[in-house]
Amino acid sequence: MARFIDLTVSAVLLAGLYAIMAYGLGLIYGVLRVVNLAHGGVIMAGAYMGWVLHWGLGLDPYLSMPIVAGACFVLGVFMYRVLVRHLPRGAAGGPASLLLLFGVWLVLRNIAYLLFTGNDQAIRTEYSTRAVVILGSYVSVNRLAVLGIAIVVPALLHLLLKRTYLGKAIRAVAQNADSCTLVGIDVGRIYTVTFGIGTALAGLAGLLSATLFAFNPGFGSSELLKSFVVVVLGGLGSVFGTGLAALILAVVEVFAILVMPSYLTAAVGFVMLVLVLVVRPGGLFGQRVLG
Amino acid sequence: MTPRPPALVPWKAAVAFAVLIAALAVMPPLFRLSPYTHNLLTLALLMISGALAWNWMGGYVGQVSFGHSAMFGLGGFVSARLMLMEPPGPAPLAWLVGGIAAGVFALGAHPMLRLRGPYFSIATIGLGEAARLLFTYWEGFTGGASGLSLPIEIEMKYRLYWWALGLAAIVVAISYVMRRSTFGLQLLAIKSDVDAAGDVGVNATLYQDLVFVLSGAVVGVTGGLYASYFSFIEPNDMFGFERSISFVLMSVIGGVGTVFGPILGAVVFVLLRQYLLASYPHLYLGLYGLLLIFIILFEPLGLSGLAFRVMRRFGRGRRAAAKASIA
Amino acid sequence: MTSCRTFLAIALAGSSAIALTPTQAHSAEQTIKIGATLPLTGAEARVGGNFKEGYELAFEQVNKAGGLDVGGKKMQVALTLLDDTSNQATAVSLADRLVNSDKVDLLLGTYASHLVEAQSTVAEQNRVPYVNGGGGATKIYKRHFKYLFGLISPVELLGTTLMQWIDEQQKAGQLPKPAKIALLWENTAHGKDFRKGVSDFAQKSGGGYQIAVDESFELNGKDFGALLGKVKAANVDLFLVDAHLPDYITMHRQYVAAGLCHKIVSYGARGSEADAIKALGQDNVNYVLSGVWWSPQLAAKPGLSRDFVNAFKARYGGRDPEWFQALAYQSARTLFDAIQKAGKVDREAVRSALMAMNEPSLLPGPNVQFKEQFGQQVQNPFVIQQNLPDGTSPIIFPKEVATGQGKGANPRCAK
Repeated sequence: MARFIDLTVSAVLLAGLYAIMAYGLGLIYGVLRVVNLAHGGVIMAGAYMGWVLHWGLGLDPYLSMPIVAGACFVLGVFMYRVLVRHLPRGAAGGPASLLLLFGVWLVLRNIAYLLFTGNDQAIRTEYSTRAVVILGSYVSVNRLAVLGIAIVVPALLHLLLKRTYLGKAIRAVAQNADSCTLVGIDVGRIYTVTFGIGTALAGLAGLLSATLFAFNPGFGSSELLKSFVVVVLGGLGSVFGTGLAALILAVVEVFAILVMPSYLTAAVGFVMLVLVLVVRPGGLFGQRVLG
Repeated sequence: MTPRPPALVPWKAAVAFAVLIAALAVMPPLFRLSPYTHNLLTLALLMISGALAWNWMGGYVGQVSFGHSAMFGLGGFVSARLMLMEPPGPAPLAWLVGGIAAGVFALGAHPMLRLRGPYFSIATIGLGEAARLLFTYWEGFTGGASGLSLPIEIEMKYRLYWWALGLAAIVVAISYVMRRSTFGLQLLAIKSDVDAAGDVGVNATLYQDLVFVLSGAVVGVTGGLYASYFSFIEPNDMFGFERSISFVLMSVIGGVGTVFGPILGAVVFVLLRQYLLASYPHLYLGLYGLLLIFIILFEPLGLSGLAFRVMRRFGRGRRAAAKASIA
Repeated sequence: MTSCRTFLAIALAGSSAIALTPTQAHSAEQTIKIGATLPLTGAEARVGGNFKEGYELAFEQVNKAGGLDVGGKKMQVALTLLDDTSNQATAVSLADRLVNSDKVDLLLGTYASHLVEAQSTVAEQNRVPYVNGGGGATKIYKRHFKYLFGLISPVELLGTTLMQWIDEQQKAGQLPKPAKIALLWENTAHGKDFRKGVSDFAQKSGGGYQIAVDESFELNGKDFGALLGKVKAANVDLFLVDAHLPDYITMHRQYVAAGLCHKIVSYGARGSEADAIKALGQDNVNYVLSGVWWSPQLAAKPGLSRDFVNAFKARYGGRDPEWFQALAYQSARTLFDAIQKAGKVDREAVRSALMAMNEPSLLPGPNVQFKEQFGQQVQNPFVIQQNLPDGTSPIIFPKEVATGQGKGANPRCAK
């Protein structure tokens, strides 16, 4: 029983991490139909921003959240205005956008190597290894905080999308960009803002990862791959679906250790990815646009 | 009915191609190329085959695969295993069997071919990563994380140039014929609109399977030759995501969907990378990234598109431009 | 047809471009050219940078002293260093370039077993002596290459040495008998060797040790929750892991947060790094055991290690070297020694000198010898260190070089 509780706790904490990594990728795909391969690079950039603020100014990573998110928003807006905007729309845009943003990732990585060298870094705070006991199981407070943020973020996103003019416009654009132009919505601006928010979320994920893991400029590729799995399982473009999919993936990966070698548990997610795409291309919960 | 297309292979082109291959075949002894240049050209020829095979799927059918490392790795390890048998299997046979194994594996991916666009791309990422983890774990077959070492044969590595040249010649010929044949037009129809292609009687499922299996098999053979070239292969490298990305990059840099593009892309990929790494080790990733960004934004047909544009400037204008869409 | 002609043009232009690649200008006959690649970017970038420091120090020292004495003539040494980006194919083709295009005389090795295993094939094919301090997996040397020399003892021996010390503690009654082991290893050649060392020892112990958990994990893992849960459920006494630095930091944070504590905790070669202590906090790394190829504490007694540490500190702003720099430095020194012994810059002569090598070195234990039976890999012992609350990590084993007394049963767990 204790083992079961331990595993459940691990799974829930892991789900929080997966969810926070995937929101940005999901949002951008949902609205722009662009697969943001630079996602991993932005996660890495967010991690380094948090690290610089922590070592340079002694700023706690949780306090630097708005700064990092803001900086990444600007980065996202820049990426969209200068690069992504010029991509051809439609079928031809799919592979092209993947490759363009992969190029951005390479550039980001190179900049990080130049600025910070290849050394492994980590952010250490008072609470890095602190834990509370829940149901007889130790729970890292840091991971708990990440889980909390992973729950708050989609709630805020939901409010934004449902209650504000901007959110409604974003949803409208996601459904049909052409008719939005007709009714006077500035589609270009909506795309810019959405790309910015998605990038800010990726940066946030990077910052939070930096409090948990050691990282270097190569950081972000396994995060990107996991995010893919989560976003696809949840149905591309559905925010709550993403959260739920993160939980499912985490539970499956964590409990898989009971029946298979630990090394192979990571493969389970990828096999699930392929199966879900083949059997239910709309994701486990069907396709909903930013519900 | 469309007017009957011109002869599948114009005899002039065939002759020119044969002369070119012959020239490349006699080049190493004739120019007394240094072993370094010789080996680098071998690698470039291998990558030409790999990039063209990827392009059948990614360019002709329009299904961008990020998982070709699975077939590459499988071909490599199957042929390595055969070459490590007692008594060792002959290398060419081992490569062939590796290719067949990769082709069969690709056939297994049949259900994925229903997916289009980014869905297909993401599914292939899953395929590649799952394959990497499974084969890294499967110690009995791949030697696990420590990989397999083949016996060192200097002669073998030298001779690989001609094997790679032969393979590249065949693959270029197939690419050319495929592009100009009715089959190629049918693939183009699938690329433009899979449903409409089905309506006019193109068996999209069968054709996609066919191309994917053929593409996988050729990439598998390439993997086998690659194993012989390096004498040491390791699953994390052979099945890695970076490997899959490299096939995509070569085709895109050169010009996706063309015959000439992936050739140019592979040559540039191998040579440029080598040059950048040696000359600007701190900037090579970024320069690569910038090149990619530049190509996507300004020259969708890649370097080959750029080359044709330059040629047009120098007067060989319309003819070249017309070829650009086919060649 | 146009495309064919263009292709020919490109192919020829390409090959002539390579043929014309400028080689470094050097005053012929005066300079010995040595080539190496290191993973300066990519997954192994941190260690690659450390190796670079070791190589550069060795080259500077020799050149400042007027060069090597080769057959009565003073010759300078020049290092051509390229970045292999932690990628095997790149490591191979750059080595090919170094040998066949840059025309270096001899090669030094890169870092990480898989890169060395791939790259050394080029050295063997071209018959160039290749001295490395970065590829510790025994499998590399089982190929019995003639031109490959390893200055880095097998990782297997790390597992064995660690177990030897643990065994002493068990005999002294500090540990239960039989002791249950959780053995976690990164799925790399490095990890597999470590596992073999520990499990072979456990098997031969005649029931003294029982491996209760035996699991591998992927490099740069993110979540070890499930794995650590399995360790917890197995109720083991010894927690033995082989990991790279990032995984050590990530896993140990989760280990501490999960409230785990074992009588013996080791992360293989990791544990005493300043970076790790900074990232984990001194309290959390106390009493962690680590086995390394070399430690700056070997400088406690006068000798080669002390000279090296002093020179390193003078060159790099007072920083203490780690084993990475020491092994790189020693690899270069050993190659220089062999050149001087050979008395000429001749690959075969240098190889023979390396085969006959029997010299003291930075490494603990006996003189450096490249014995054929081990595929020319040195078999020097490891030193086991233990982190103490005062921030030091004294060597506790083997006794001849020990600078402190080890604690058998982790006092952290008493709380």
